[in-house]
Amino acid sequence: MTFSPKTFTGKTYISLSRNRSKVWLISAFAVLVSFLGFVTSFLTPTIGLPLRPGLDFTGGTQIKLERKCIDKCTQISALDVSDKLINIDFSNKETNQKMASARVQFLDGYKSILIRVPSIAASESKAIVESIVNDIGPFEDGGLSIETIGPTLGSKLLKTTLVSLLVAFSCVAIYISIRFDRKFSFFALLALFHDIFIIAGIFSWLGVFLDVEVNSLFAVALLTIAGYSVNDTVVVYDRIREIDNQDISLPYKQKIDIAVSATLTRTLYTSGTTLLPLLALIFFGGYSLYWFSIALAMGVVIGSWSSIALVPSLLTLTNDN
Amino acid sequence: MARQQGWLALLLALVISSFLLCIRLPFQLGLDLRGGSQLTLEVQSVNPSAKVSSQDLEAVQSVLDRRVNGLGVAESSLRTIGTNQLILELPGEQEPSKAARVLGKTALLEFRSQKPGTRMEMQKYQRLRNQYRNIALLAENSGNKKTDIEEIEGQQKTIENLKLALNLNQTSSNKEEDLEAIKQKINSEIVKLFEPSYLTGSDLLSAGRRQEQNLSSWEVTLTFNKDGGDKFAKLTKSIAGKDRLLGIILDGESISEASVGEQFKLAGITGGSATISGNFTADSARELEVQLRGGSLPLPVEIIQIRTIGPTLGEENIQRSLTAALLGLAMVAIFMVIFYRIAGIVAILALSFYALFNFAVYTLIPVTLTLPGIAGFILSIGMAVDANVLIFERVKDELRRGNTLIRSIDTGFSQAFSSIIDGHITTLISCISLFYLGTGFVKGFAATLGLGVVISLFTALSCTRVLLRFFMSYKYLRRPSNFLPLKQLPKQIS
Repeated sequence: MTFSPKTFTGKTYISLSRNRSKVWLISAFAVLVSFLGFVTSFLTPTIGLPLRPGLDFTGGTQIKLERKCIDKCTQISALDVSDKLINIDFSNKETNQKMASARVQFLDGYKSILIRVPSIAASESKAIVESIVNDIGPFEDGGLSIETIGPTLGSKLLKTTLVSLLVAFSCVAIYISIRFDRKFSFFALLALFHDIFIIAGIFSWLGVFLDVEVNSLFAVALLTIAGYSVNDTVVVYDRIREIDNQDISLPYKQKIDIAVSATLTRTLYTSGTTLLPLLALIFFGGYSLYWFSIALAMGVVIGSWSSIALVPSLLTLTNDN
Repeated sequence: MARQQGWLALLLALVISSFLLCIRLPFQLGLDLRGGSQLTLEVQSVNPSAKVSSQDLEAVQSVLDRRVNGLGVAESSLRTIGTNQLILELPGEQEPSKAARVLGKTALLEFRSQKPGTRMEMQKYQRLRNQYRNIALLAENSGNKKTDIEEIEGQQKTIENLKLALNLNQTSSNKEEDLEAIKQKINSEIVKLFEPSYLTGSDLLSAGRRQEQNLSSWEVTLTFNKDGGDKFAKLTKSIAGKDRLLGIILDGESISEASVGEQFKLAGITGGSATISGNFTADSARELEVQLRGGSLPLPVEIIQIRTIGPTLGEENIQRSLTAALLGLAMVAIFMVIFYRIAGIVAILALSFYALFNFAVYTLIPVTLTLPGIAGFILSIGMAVDANVLIFERVKDELRRGNTLIRSIDTGFSQAFSSIIDGHITTLISCISLFYLGTGFVKGFAATLGLGVVISLFTALSCTRVLLRFFMSYKYLRRPSNFLPLKQLPKQIS
């Protein structure tokens, strides 16, 4: 090992400890904005919840149609049908918005078509059928069925999910406190909640202004971000411990600065390589993964921020002398 | 050198076998990718004070499993939840009512002989049942069409007469309720006229169905095992030529009563087979066949929830997203080659192996791929790339400090080791607890991420290393400039 303090004394490294108040200001601001997002969303009459729930949480209306085909049914693009639905004018702003989250699916080789939308009135379902009859009709008489479907994410599922998450985080916290320190595990969890809180906050604003709904994919995105955040933080911890163990006669603050500078390239590269496929998904992927990819991409950026800036700067607090 | 070649051979063997696994075995796609139906079934305990034991649940599961297979839905899955529930997933099935009908029945088949001296009563109830069947058919048809008041009144009168004959004095305004009550009363009265069960479906060897000769209706054929055949012969012998009928009773309802001809008086019906005919349609005959083949349920089962699920992503969307993901991975590959040069190529190879191993494990276990599962896989790719980045950054650091190439590689691996281990183990810990405690989408996510983490530990610490060593055994590749730009190297080496 050719590791010595000299290696760093000549080299410039980021002085995180000197800028730590700026880091805290930025994070505190982001958390505040997120919190305001929840409040605004909660106070918006059409939402009434901290986040705008999607079809997976609320259930909705399902319309099934049988097409009249002579021999074999012609192929239709599900995306074209979705576009048609979005362009229907319902003279009701809310219903118009609901069409954006419609799901269209073909069964039995384009013979039947299934449309799932958030709960709408019977007359509105009729309007949907009428609007597409010219393009993909005619439909069989009696082949039409309209029913209400239940939510995919019930309260029971959410409850078990929360419990399992809590246990998972506690186990991780125990591991980190054994491998590192109790302070380390506390800050890792703090960073994790910081990341998830901000992402959820951004989506509450998106729900207010762009009517973006959270569905089961969003919950999965949050899980993924949590995993990414902890992994990212632990790598930085590892470097801090390594430098600390070398017993360099430097103040703790400076050791942290050195560790952060040393892992900076790695963190940026890893975030970059994770972002590349996500950006590809955002710009070229299908529409149903659009918001999922955006949530993940933001999670990667915020996760990197918390692990290279927020957590180390908080650690400098614990050993100020 | 020999040891290294051994590693390389092992790696190659793993790659080839994984590849074969991937093309031989099918991938299982989850309901959210394909759409389908999900049924939640609850096992009811017969005795309210006794709980459903895990053996009971297992027994119910194996019977239901056989029935589900009889339905012929591809890649269905049946798993237990908690202490008394089962979840059945039928991918691609958008009309689960048929499956629900087949699964919910206990399908306890009994052969019973009529009690002696009950001929008159039996005829009376059979006559009433015929009346009931006619009126039920009429009522069903009139529900679909407009019927004249006269006809409805006629139906009403027949129903009242039936109720009178059966001593049913409950009053209800609903025709359906009346009909249901009449049906149950007739059934229970008929079943009362039979001796206790003697031969049951547990002695069945197989069941089949065929169309009755010259008729449009179907019949279900039964074949008994040796024991059942003997019992059946004995049973038929005891009632042959007498005024006693053989009752075929399914789930407490007599579906058919047959007389046994005088010619069987000596030996009974031998040969160990029988047919049940009783107004079966092609579909209902098939349902009974499936139920009988699967055996009867040890405990009654109630379907508490039926849900049809449309795919979250359409086929078009999956195609488009897949192309985008591949494009993204290609960009990652370019990134790795630009920043790590020869090591980048090693990383790309190691990561391709990584993906291949993952797919092989998915087909082998098998893991049903859902969207959350794919998200877990993507995160694990990120971690696998991260492991390589950690190693190569350390190697570069060592090179910049003026170490020789081989030594830098070795130190790089050993120094990155603890970061990789810690990162992977923390993720693995959360995956394990999420997998055991979570349900639904959390489980799918934890499964693929957990598997990915374990495989990533292997590929990062062995594949990357073996491949890098292999590359370094060629002299023209063994140059520090193949790892980072010359100007970053200390003077004495370049």
